[in-house]
Amino acid sequence: MTRPGFVLEVDERTPPLLVHEGEGFRLQRFPLGTRVVYPPDPLPGIRDLRGAIEQALLHPLGSEPLPELLRPGMRLTIAFDDISLPLPPMRTPDIRQRVIEAVLGVAARRGVEDVKLIVANSLHRRMTPREIERTVGERVFRSFFPRDLTNHDAEDPEALVEVGRTEKGEVVEINRRAAESDLLVYVNINLVAMDGGHKSVPVGLASYRSLRHHHNVETMLHSKSYMDPRPEASAIHASCMRMGKVLRDAGIRIFTIETTLNNETFPREFGFLNKREWEWSLADQAMYLAAKKANDAAPARLRREVFRRIEAPYGVTGINAGDTDLVHARTLENLHRQQLVEVQGQSDVLVVGLPYICPYNVNSIMNPILVHCLGLGYFFNLYRGKPLVRPGGVMILFHPVPWEFHQVHHPSYVDFFEEVLAETTDPATIESKYEERYATDPWYVHLYRRSYAYHGVHPFYMWYWGAHALDHLGDVIFVGGDPKACARMGYRAATTFRDALEMASDRVGRDPSITYFHCPPLALAEVR
Amino acid sequence: MGRGGSFLDEVRTVAGGFRWGRRPLVPAAAEGQAEPRRPGQFPTAWARTPLARAAREAILTLGMRPLVWTETAPRVYGLENLEGLEHPVLFVSNHTSHLDATLILTTLPRRWRERTATGAAADYFFDTWWKSIATALVYNAFPIDRSGRGRGTASARQMLADGWSLIVFPEGTRSPDGWMQRFRTGAARLAIEQRVPVVPIAIRGAFAAMPRGRAWPRPGRLPISLRYGPPLFPREGEDHRELTRRMYRAVAELFDEDRSTWWEAQHRASRGETPSPAGPAGPRWLRVWEAYRPLPRRGPRPAWRR
Repeated sequence: MTRPGFVLEVDERTPPLLVHEGEGFRLQRFPLGTRVVYPPDPLPGIRDLRGAIEQALLHPLGSEPLPELLRPGMRLTIAFDDISLPLPPMRTPDIRQRVIEAVLGVAARRGVEDVKLIVANSLHRRMTPREIERTVGERVFRSFFPRDLTNHDAEDPEALVEVGRTEKGEVVEINRRAAESDLLVYVNINLVAMDGGHKSVPVGLASYRSLRHHHNVETMLHSKSYMDPRPEASAIHASCMRMGKVLRDAGIRIFTIETTLNNETFPREFGFLNKREWEWSLADQAMYLAAKKANDAAPARLRREVFRRIEAPYGVTGINAGDTDLVHARTLENLHRQQLVEVQGQSDVLVVGLPYICPYNVNSIMNPILVHCLGLGYFFNLYRGKPLVRPGGVMILFHPVPWEFHQVHHPSYVDFFEEVLAETTDPATIESKYEERYATDPWYVHLYRRSYAYHGVHPFYMWYWGAHALDHLGDVIFVGGDPKACARMGYRAATTFRDALEMASDRVGRDPSITYFHCPPLALAEVR
Repeated sequence: MGRGGSFLDEVRTVAGGFRWGRRPLVPAAAEGQAEPRRPGQFPTAWARTPLARAAREAILTLGMRPLVWTETAPRVYGLENLEGLEHPVLFVSNHTSHLDATLILTTLPRRWRERTATGAAADYFFDTWWKSIATALVYNAFPIDRSGRGRGTASARQMLADGWSLIVFPEGTRSPDGWMQRFRTGAARLAIEQRVPVVPIAIRGAFAAMPRGRAWPRPGRLPISLRYGPPLFPREGEDHRELTRRMYRAVAELFDEDRSTWWEAQHRASRGETPSPAGPAGPRWLRVWEAYRPLPRRGPRPAWRR
């Protein structure tokens, strides 16, 4: 039986604990009494994936079986999550490939000829052909790419259509092909509770005109918990649900297929990263030392290349298909089974070690804005109920925060960092003063459409994701962070953890309560 | 330690943090959460090769015996009960101290010692490589899995079948307060299955000399008494519970004999009035207090107090 997640209290017997710090990791001693939140052990993966997929397609939730929805002469569109999921990328064959192949198999048997596949990359960078092939598999890629397997283009007026407006006046504009199809099948990987549901189509296939209604500072600040996708808990999800309703009312038929993964995040060579430290064998300790030594000694490029090549041996814990709401409820159950950990009360200090990867630097570089987004946007928000740290508390993050950008993937980030953050870090000011200009800048639009750049507005969204944390926290300290890069973002850098606690003492005193969120593998704290 | 720090520092961190060479610890909060450790079956056959046996004989007679006899004052009685017996037998004893196995092995005649092995807790004596090697070499020990999954019993069965006598502590662990605990039935099962006699041994004074938590005997050369009893042979149709009770009574009678005289102990035994070796009723501190009282010295006191 899989062990549930639990909260450890550091005592004299506790060995040093593993902390991620970008493209590296360390063993760190924590003060006695520190609470450490560990995720549950990996759930067993589904052994007969083919059977499970077939079962989901033939017995969907709240929908006719997929074969009954397919007929000759119809227009079928299959959209799927882009490279931002899962993290790290899944060992091939990707579950999206398996599901898409199954859907296409049924479509072929039912005589459907007009089929298009769309990467639901929203305002993310386009996926390269090689990345697409890795995701959907050679068979699908060779059959459909490039004519009928494309990236979504959120800046092509011809390829977008305004479906309607919500009762709050939010514009719902999505991919025209998807909107005008007789059936839209959406295939996702639901890595965290924030993803999926109505966040798939109204976000993944939308345009800036539509996204700006929920990707904004006010919505972020009015979301109590991004990981609790109930309308009363998360304003962003409430907005997405309203948009989903507009799509449904407009007669767009969506067949949602959601998948969930277990916590097998690192391959066997890095098995110690998946284990609780006191259960490390001598071999794990030796592996840690060898990996640490090799990693520290390696040139930066080689180090990055090694990390980039990590493929997670995830097991699939659930495949559900049918009506979006019903499917997503089942998906959340699966996710909670794998990730939920009950934690009693908040603490003065929250400590996290940020890993080398976030949704927006796959095959790329983790620039300082992405570090901000990963730490304050995602890790801070991995809770339900209330944050792990009290209002006015301090968040200590381990990451080198290098002043480094991928010039192809993140051109607008460079300018955002140099121009916008040099003037202010206040999300509301940034939004009102700069967002529109960056979002409509023709050069950024061109790079988004023709190169492999994230949209001009994307760094703004990254900054907004951290708005809730910035509003909540009293101080943010990066251990090992580049002082200049941290200062640019309004954060402080400490050389050691001890220094960071010393620096935090003016906010939280000399004897603060500390919670170390031991992640990845991913956990979701249910804070009572 | 940050990136680029000394690798030696990192090794020190790991070595210290993970207690290299010592038993790994589980944080108290994680005790209920820990995955059951499955100690690998440490191979011990090498410890019974002629070379290892010669090394063991040298270590026990030239190293351990003088050391124990210098630090404590053991008195040994009843070895004549071994006369007429042949390997294999089961030596069963009460267990209060790490000295117990050493005392038995160093007091047994060589003929017995060289073909006697010791069952040792896998989770304690075989948890690190150096302890495993030392335990196997010095005590001719083999790991016993105390979790009840039965691998230890299988090894013991095989050893008896191969003609090795075994030292077994049926209490399963050292007494926490110096008094005898309930006997587990594993030893009796073995004796019945393998049709081997059981030699009871009572050890008094070892708790006072080196109780739980001490790695070296208390100063003062405290006396310890080892008393070997007459062998018990499993009877026809006797079940393991009955034999366990007989073993317990035999050790209790040896205790009584050691406290008084053989004659008095025999009388009390015949009347069923042998005092229980489970110690006085009362709070733990009182039991420890009583057990910690050193045995009275016999013979002249040393001229110079240590």
